[in-house]
Formats: sequence, structure tokens, C-alpha cells
Amino acid sequence: MSDKHEPAPMVNEVSDFEVLEMAVRELAIEKGLFSAEDHRRWTEYVHTLGPLPAARLVAKAWLDPAYKKLAVTDGVKASLQVGVDWINSPPTGFGTPSDYCALRVLEDTPKLKHVVVCTLCSCYPRPILGQSPEWYRTPNYRRRLVRWPRQVLAEFGLQLDPDVEIRVADSNQKTRYIVLPVRPAGTEGWTEDQLTAIVTRDCLIGVAVPKPGVTANAKRPVRPAVHPVHHSH
Amino acid sequence: MSTSKHDRTHHAKKATGIGDPQCFKGEAGKAKFKVGDRVRVKDLSDVFYSRTQTYPRGAVGTVTVLVYESPAPEDEAWDNTDKSEWFYSVKFRQKDLWPDYPDLYANDTLETELSERWLEKA
Amino acid sequence: MKDKDKGSETGRQGTDTTPVPLLEAISSRGRVWEDLAEQYGVTNPDPPWKITLDATCDLLAAGSCVLPVLERRAEEDDLSATNYADIPFPERQLLALAHSLIRRGLLDEDELARRMEEVNRRLNS
Repeated sequence: MSDKHEPAPMVNEVSDFEVLEMAVRELAIEKGLFSAEDHRRWTEYVHTLGPLPAARLVAKAWLDPAYKKLAVTDGVKASLQVGVDWINSPPTGFGTPSDYCALRVLEDTPKLKHVVVCTLCSCYPRPILGQSPEWYRTPNYRRRLVRWPRQVLAEFGLQLDPDVEIRVADSNQKTRYIVLPVRPAGTEGWTEDQLTAIVTRDCLIGVAVPKPGVTANAKRPVRPAVHPVHHSH
Repeated sequence: MSTSKHDRTHHAKKATGIGDPQCFKGEAGKAKFKVGDRVRVKDLSDVFYSRTQTYPRGAVGTVTVLVYESPAPEDEAWDNTDKSEWFYSVKFRQKDLWPDYPDLYANDTLETELSERWLEKA
Repeated sequence: MKDKDKGSETGRQGTDTTPVPLLEAISSRGRVWEDLAEQYGVTNPDPPWKITLDATCDLLAAGSCVLPVLERRAEEDDLSATNYADIPFPERQLLALAHSLIRRGLLDEDELARRMEEVNRRLNS
């Protein structure tokens, strides 16, 4: 949350969807499908999640070859150094039922580009990367990326030489992936903070590559409707 | 159609502070395959709850990592977590998955995870 | 539900896509976050209930596992291509969830309608 805003405008009306979400949740709790306490704790936990720890993991790996080696061989252990505890932070004490505790960091090289998808249901490494974007969840992305990766990447503005190996990682089981992109030219002498700022969520999924000066994800129109606001999620 | 009778307290006791899939370490016994092995994805009959996609069935790939031991999702969905098997990350050439994948991009690959029951030596 | 009743519709992955009147009504009259945010000048790209919805989805897949992830997502995919194709995300995810719960008999449509009226009164008082 930025601390530069004045009190933000609020939506002063209650939508049917807000009412529906609450009604579904209340009835589910009354029927014993889950407890109010568990729901509160989950919600609090999910609110803490975002893409910065993953970005920092990449920045650290770029700066320290020993940490890079750890990240590639033991993603869960490497996550601890960026403040992410896959096992103990989620309220269960053993990882979330959707994210588990098996992070693999996929290292790109100049001849190997990774890109991540979950064709079955859009699994995503939330504990270190936050909530997934809408486009990642769509059948459009999930079905097409495995089959036509170059076309899909081109739509994201990424084109690679034919001899580069594009490796699609389909996270169909318990492993969750983030991509460790190649450190771009023009970042010599940069600090960890400077490097972290250019590793966007889209770079960590693999549909973009980090570039000096680019610190936000490209806006992706998913629906014909106009998105009137700018956001850097 | 899932039953609502799952008792996750046993799993919670076993996994708390240890993690899932870490809590199943050592339970699968000897792995049948090793890194570098060529394996074929079996086309087992469609079981409810499979996490083996349609597209790699019948394809041959290479084992890249022995990732972890865990109950297979086909069993885990019904809370049959007594038996674990090894899970493998397997890399396929895209040309071996999709017959009309362009020759121009012959280096392209796809990597995904399969549990031991789904694999046979190629 | 994979049962195919006479006269019911099904999606590509076997979802029962027979419309639920309550949810059809909400789809057509409900105001989506995209429009509300624009009207009120709010910059948050997501409605405040999005994370609580995700927590609900997680918890239904955990514990007693009444609605596992693979099933819920397959149904959400089918419903997003059919009944709720014109509805933005995450409203679409919410409608699909309610649809899945009603079709499984975990929630009753009339009970949900009554609870919505009660919640509405509470929030607007």
C-alpha cells in the first residue's frame, strides 16, 4: 500500500456480488464446511503475499553465485532468505493445500528460456509470488501455451531466436515454479534493490524478460471491457 | 464426486512443521528410474482425479529430476495416503508431443511431473 | 456433478451448466467491480472481497475437501465459457463457485437468496 495517497475514494454502494460472496461464506461456515476462524486466518495470510520476495530471490541470485546454486537446487531453503517460509507461514503449518512446499527455481540461460503454466487448474507459487493474474487462469493461456508457446509469447511481446530452447514448465503436481531470468546488460554495478525492481511478476512467470527501466508488468487486455485504472500488479 | 469424509488430522500431525511433500520422504522406497532415463508415459485408463494430462500420454521423454515422494493424486484425492511413489520431472521435445510442431523450433521442450505408476522404460 | 439429467446442459468438461435462476439474475443486474471502480474513482484493481473469495475456495478444498481444486476449476472453466461468459473476473469465479455449490447440494438456492436479502439489509442499514 502506498503511503503517498490522501484518503482514497471508496465505492459507496453494495453490489450484488459483494452480497453473494458474503452470503456464500456465511452459509458455508454455518454448515460446517470450514470455520470462521480458519477463514479469517487464511485471508490474513493471503493478504501478506506478493511478488517482491520472488523478485528479490532473483536479484540475490544474480549477485551471489552460491545463492544462485542454492536457489536452483533447493528453492524452499532459498526462499527463507527472502522471508518466505513455505512450510510454517501458512496457517496449516505444513504448506497450503494448493501451493504445497516444493518450489523449483528454473534458471534461464542465453540458450534456454523457461515459461510456466498449469494446464489443469492454474496452480501458482503464491507464497513467494502472490496471487495469480487473471490471464494466467484462463483456458486461453493454459491450453495454448503448451501447444503454441512461441505464438503466446509473441502476444506478450517476447520473441526469441529459433535456436533458443523454449521450455514450458507445466506445474501439474506439487511443484511450483518461478523463473530465474538471465540478468540483462546495462545493470552492471546495480544494488540488490535496483535489480529487484526490474524483476516483475511477468518475468518470474516467464512471459517477459527483465529490462533496465521497466519496473511494471505490461497491461494485458483480457476482456473487451475498458480497464480505466493503472495498476502495477 | 468426492465424499466429505476426509480426515485430515492424521495428515496434519504427520506434516506439521515438516511440509507436504516433505513428510512423505523415505516412504516410496527405491526409485525405478534415474536422471537421464528415457521413459514413456503410459496411457492408463482415465481415473477420476488424475493429474496426468492427456497430451503427454504415449510420449517418450527424459527424466531430469527425481522431485519428491508422495501419494499419487489418484489415491490422495480419496485420502489413501498410505502408499507413496516417486515423482519425476520429465522433459519432452515439443516435436514428440505435437506432430506438427514446427521444425524451425526443434529445440523447444516441455517439462512436467509424472508419478512412477505412469512411466515405463522406453 | 457428472450426472447428466434429462434436459440438463453440460459443458466441455462435463459440468452441469443448467442455469441457476438466482445466479442468472445476479449476472444480469449485478454491478461489477470494473464499473464500480470507474464510477467512484477507486484505483484498486480488485474488489475487497476477492481475497476472501479465494480463501473460501482454498478452504473448501482443504479439510473435509467438499470441493476439490481440480473439480472446482474444471467447472469454473466450463461456466466461464457458457453461462457467465460475459461476466468479468473475479465476479465470474464467484458465480461459478456458487453454481458448483448449489449443483452439489451444498447450498440451497432459496436459502442463498434469503441469506442475500438478509446480508443486503445488514450492509445497507
